Amino acid sequence: MEDLILELKSEIIKALNLEEISPNDIGDDDPLFGDGLGLDSIDALELIVLMEKNYGIKLTDPSQGRDIFRSVRIMAEYIQANRTK
Amino acid sequence: MNKVYLLDAKHISAQKPLSEEWTDAPIYPSGSLSSFTPSIDPDYAQCFAPNVRRRLGKLLKRALLASRTVMESSGIACPDAILTGTGFGCVENTEVFLEAMTFEGEDCLKPTNFMQSTHNTIGSLIAIETGCHGYNTTYTHKGVSFESALLDAFIRIANGHIRNALVGSYDEMTPHYRILLNRTDYPGNAYFGSETALSAILADEPSEGSKALCRIEAIEMIYGKSPQCIATALQRILCRAGRSFSDLDAIMTGLNADKANDAVYRRAEAELFSGKPLLQYKHLFGESHAVSGLGVYATAVCLQRGSVPGFMLVSDKKFRVDKLRDDLPAKTILFYNHCGGKNHALILMSSCE
Repeated sequence: MEDLILELKSEIIKALNLEEISPNDIGDDDPLFGDGLGLDSIDALELIVLMEKNYGIKLTDPSQGRDIFRSVRIMAEYIQANRTK
Repeated sequence: MNKVYLLDAKHISAQKPLSEEWTDAPIYPSGSLSSFTPSIDPDYAQCFAPNVRRRLGKLLKRALLASRTVMESSGIACPDAILTGTGFGCVENTEVFLEAMTFEGEDCLKPTNFMQSTHNTIGSLIAIETGCHGYNTTYTHKGVSFESALLDAFIRIANGHIRNALVGSYDEMTPHYRILLNRTDYPGNAYFGSETALSAILADEPSEGSKALCRIEAIEMIYGKSPQCIATALQRILCRAGRSFSDLDAIMTGLNADKANDAVYRRAEAELFSGKPLLQYKHLFGESHAVSGLGVYATAVCLQRGSVPGFMLVSDKKFRVDKLRDDLPAKTILFYNHCGGKNHALILMSSCE
């Protein structure tokens, strides 16, 4: 799980072009939206694409993202349980 | 008819960005189109918040910063209209988007690249930034894209439909785009390939307490290969402005050292512009579809200072640059640009005395 969390942080930084942020700057349980990393709705779409492209997880209902993208840890747990690649 | 003034213009190009330092200390990049020279970018970290910066492509950052800066210097918070000229638009994002579509299919396309892959992304983004809900149009007419945008703004201001407009000229270059260009007949022997970001404010009167760069008296665009059509355009533009040929102090040309491109100017010089000093700007700003915007800007700066720097004068029939020539006093300059010898644009510009 720890490896997946680290990998996910790097992928998020790359996909969202988060300049000046390193994986160490993102806490495992920090909120990704709002007060945490300050991501927005376009970033949510980018994360949906990332999940499908890297882990083969297709979120058919975008509102699922509200729960899944609460933090990197929650995202990693969901990926581990549902990944197809 | 209202008079039309070019209040101010800001650039990010091969010269020092957002600065007129090129008039005293120009940078002379060397090489040809294949040895492309990128624009000199300012430190965007000082200009945009990280959350804004991360989502903007190279060209969008340049366009937004140049627009923001020229609006501040012109005292215009929200223009009545936004007109954009671009040859290829946001090529960098388009490439990423198309590459993903080619190699990974259509299921996993990144939304940001998609949103930024259109030509009119630039004008839309500036409208969002400025809160401008007015007329917003993008012209993609290769080497006369900027003139098309300028003509649109000019007509609207002259006829009183709007009082001011933000007019821009933008193009970027990518390594892949360079490879493709090298396979085409795009001017291969030009001074050097370059990128352009130029934002200018046009208005029906100079800003309060400040002097406009110049007045734009008339614009004429014409399509045709025969020398006669350029002669017709010249007669028309002089007639529109109530001027005679003797009023012109110099002709600003798009000479770029490429044989086919320069032959059009050479013929026009012999048949139409005989006896008038020829000027050039592409040895400083390079060649791109949008570079004529920088040519208009350079002409305007010369008119504001009252003279053309000696290094912009064409010294002889071989169109060589003579860096040691004296400055040329100038109050009225005719800007002439052509694209492929078929699309011609003439812009009559004069100082604001």
